[in-house]
Amino acid sequence: MTSDTARPRLTFQDLILTLQQFWAKQGCVILQPYDKEMGAGTFHPATFLRAVGPEPWSAAYVQPSRRPTDGRYGDNPFRLQHYYQYQVVIKPSPDDIQDLYLESLKAIGIDPTIHDIRFVEDNWESPTLGAWGIGWEVWLNGMEITQFTYFQQVGGLECRPVTGEITYGLERLAMYLQDVESIFDIVWADGPLGRITYRDVYHQNEVEQSKYNFEEADIDALFNAFDHREHDCERLIEAGLALPAYERMLEASHLFNLLDARQAVSVSERQRFILRVRTMARAVAEAYFASREELGFPMVESVKAAAGASS
Amino acid sequence: MSADFLVEIGTEELPPKALRSLMEAFAESLGGAVADARLEHGDVRAIASPRRLSVIIESLADGQADRKVAQKGPPVSVAFDDDGNPKPAAEAFAKKCGVAVAELGRTKTDKGEWLTYELAEPGRTAAELLPELVERALSELPIPRRMRWGDGDIEFVRPVHWVVMLHGDQVMDAEIMGVRTGNVSRGHRFLSDGDVTIESPGQYLEALEEPGYVIADFERRRELVASGVAKAASDAGGRIVDGELLYDEVTALVEWPVPVVGTFEDKFLDLPREVVISTLTGHQRYFPVEDENGELLPRFVTVANLESKDPEQVRDGNERVIRPRLADAAFFWETDRRNSLANREDALREVVYQRGLGSLHDKATRTAGIAKALADMLDSEDANVARAAMLAKCDLLTGMVGEFPDLQGLMGRYYAELDGEPPAVAQAIGEHYQPRFAGDDLPASTDGQVLSIADKLDTLAGVFTIGKKPSGNRDPFGLRRAALGIIRILVECELDVNLKALIDAAALAQPKGRIDAAEVAAELYSFITDRLRRYFLDRDASLRTETFDAVLAQAPASLVDFDNRLHAVQAFTALDAAESLAAANKRIENILKKAEVDDPGAVVEKRLTDAAEKALHSALDGAAAKVEPLLADRHYEAALTELAALKAPVDEFFDEVMVMADDETLRNNRLALLGAVRELFLQIADISRLSID
Repeated sequence: MTSDTARPRLTFQDLILTLQQFWAKQGCVILQPYDKEMGAGTFHPATFLRAVGPEPWSAAYVQPSRRPTDGRYGDNPFRLQHYYQYQVVIKPSPDDIQDLYLESLKAIGIDPTIHDIRFVEDNWESPTLGAWGIGWEVWLNGMEITQFTYFQQVGGLECRPVTGEITYGLERLAMYLQDVESIFDIVWADGPLGRITYRDVYHQNEVEQSKYNFEEADIDALFNAFDHREHDCERLIEAGLALPAYERMLEASHLFNLLDARQAVSVSERQRFILRVRTMARAVAEAYFASREELGFPMVESVKAAAGASS
Repeated sequence: MSADFLVEIGTEELPPKALRSLMEAFAESLGGAVADARLEHGDVRAIASPRRLSVIIESLADGQADRKVAQKGPPVSVAFDDDGNPKPAAEAFAKKCGVAVAELGRTKTDKGEWLTYELAEPGRTAAELLPELVERALSELPIPRRMRWGDGDIEFVRPVHWVVMLHGDQVMDAEIMGVRTGNVSRGHRFLSDGDVTIESPGQYLEALEEPGYVIADFERRRELVASGVAKAASDAGGRIVDGELLYDEVTALVEWPVPVVGTFEDKFLDLPREVVISTLTGHQRYFPVEDENGELLPRFVTVANLESKDPEQVRDGNERVIRPRLADAAFFWETDRRNSLANREDALREVVYQRGLGSLHDKATRTAGIAKALADMLDSEDANVARAAMLAKCDLLTGMVGEFPDLQGLMGRYYAELDGEPPAVAQAIGEHYQPRFAGDDLPASTDGQVLSIADKLDTLAGVFTIGKKPSGNRDPFGLRRAALGIIRILVECELDVNLKALIDAAALAQPKGRIDAAEVAAELYSFITDRLRRYFLDRDASLRTETFDAVLAQAPASLVDFDNRLHAVQAFTALDAAESLAAANKRIENILKKAEVDDPGAVVEKRLTDAAEKALHSALDGAAAKVEPLLADRHYEAALTELAALKAPVDEFFDEVMVMADDETLRNNRLALLGAVRELFLQIADISRLSID
């Protein structure tokens, strides 16, 4: 095993705080998690919707991510149904985005002259979001720690300009930095009020939520709720309310994930559900584009003006 | 004047599986473009690493040669008046060419006489031409999905950051892919100081290596990877398990290869060998290590892209990655076995095989039917193969195959064995995807061969039925490979069965689709015979396509029979008599066609008048008597050797006898005689196709 000096023991919250500091300094808007269940940071409107249209945008945030089928009742040291992603989006993607990312690794104590860091092809495609991009998974000594993507299409719309997306797997990074073999052994906080681990914070949640996801979730209610969200989403798009419509899509997507965990969706039906969510995502992306267009894409000018003033 | 030329496109990390083909395509395309542009040059060299695609062209001329381009002016008749004075048309042409009328030339053809002039066209310089040629070569690269980045419109495989373009020691100033060219390359991301100045193309590879820490030459890097991992494995007490593909991919993932040996827990060696190997090689691209007896060792070799300041940490990190992956595999191995394959059969109904072709259960049922038909043709026991057909797709529902799709079939075999299925059933399941790639092993057991053919035929007939047969380069269902697999098994395992009947059975087994069964069968037969031609020509370089056509014309129902005839006809073509008999067959065919006699009837011996036709008739009778038993035993080569004896009487016949006699009875009798000659040959192949003309 390796020495403590080589791997500084950043706590989980230090890791997050360091990344927040780093990306704030680069000029990103530091946002808070979106208050809806979602499967990944990409679903946050700050990524999905902001990738649509010509307006520049840069943001960074933590996003709790829920993947009901990944629940293991807290028994598996590597899998959770609720975990964290750290998400950075910059649009248009700057020329030095890879270098910025590598700088952020140094900031959390990963020395690229010691560790073997590589960008390994891994293109991204989300059938539910009607989105795809070109990019890599980033390896740290063979372990995937980050997903790096240049968005090419979102909600069926071409991305012009292109959004660069960086998604850090926070638990994996923390396990590595702290040299622990189980997510639950990650030290979350270690201060004058005591040492708190990931287990203290989330283990019970994993046990109970796994039970809910796999055994207790009310299937009929979930199906009904899905239909309702879908219907509502259409209605809200008619009303020109892209953002509320988007939230209905998020809810529908999560409901589908729960149904999937309950094994209530047959394989052939599965494809149809994914298609229904994608249809919503596309309609919302188009509605959002139209609403920004109506406003004259105001951030095209305002961001340029502000960048000019500060330089 | 000439000098070496270098272009380097510096990019973000390129896709490893495509790197070699991108590299080769860039060099080929640029080499071709330069030659098309009439720039003389020497060798063209392809170079690539994860962050660069480069081409060096040796001794590239610094410009095109000057040349004369013929200009055509007005006809002389309109260029001059009757007195021979130039008219405006002549003056205008002279002006266009920049000379006096007197300096113009004349060219006379059978259509008249024209004014002409050889205009000198100065060659363009390489500096002018190359940026355009490089851009064109880049635009032709086989990139499956081009990407954009930032707010630009440029599309390429990955974002471009720098471009080096040198002709000798001269920087060629241009803009390529939106980037200003220069002579500054970049070294290794972490080991070098960054920028590396390239003085000249000849010094490019050296400069990248030192101080750049980049081995840019793909082949050399590959050798370093191969020798490095071999040495690391041997230091760890073993050797690398065979596997060619991984070397290219790993070479495409590193600029400075450094092998690192890692260890995992012994207990994972209880897993099936293939599972351990897939876990190591699949996502992680680790090289598995075995001892001298071929037993896996709990070791792997990975190739880092770094001479680490602390290699222990690289090793430790890689070991930490593989542990949970092996643990996952062990978990699947444990849990999959709680549910037998047979228990999963019903669940196949839930999995859509293909739109219009039902579920996997439907596919299994059809495959079982085709397999039984085939087993019956072979007089082979069909109970095991029918059961194997129903179980063969069940492993697709297991966790292990979900995680490692490459292990399909193989896991089915393991699980079937553990379920207590008959060994023949387990083996057939394990073999039914074979051959999976060119040169792969064929199924060893008859049941495996039968199941493999039935599975592939069902796939082919199904996809043809829904109107999705391959077109152009697109073959998403791998139908060409499937057809070739069927051919290989039938021919190489010598399964002597009626392929047409088998295709009919497969076509009839399909659900109603866009194309009806009869058409599917016809299309599928010609699809398979197209592959068959390629297969036989690839197998034997001396085989002529006419020889194949001669046999194909008789459409033998069994490919084994086809192969026998092919060998015989090929041996026949080496005989002295072959050429003239081929010509004679052709001549007979033409005569019969021209005579437009539907059925000249049988030869009536007493109507034979000339000595030559009597001789041919008796030779034919003799040959037929000898050949018939040989044909019954498919001794085609011996039969053709007998038929070769007909050369002399046939030649003599054509020399001496007038076929198209005025007397209709005589004529028809002679046509009947020739028809009989042809019929005899046709029982083996259409020899007329061998005819040179």
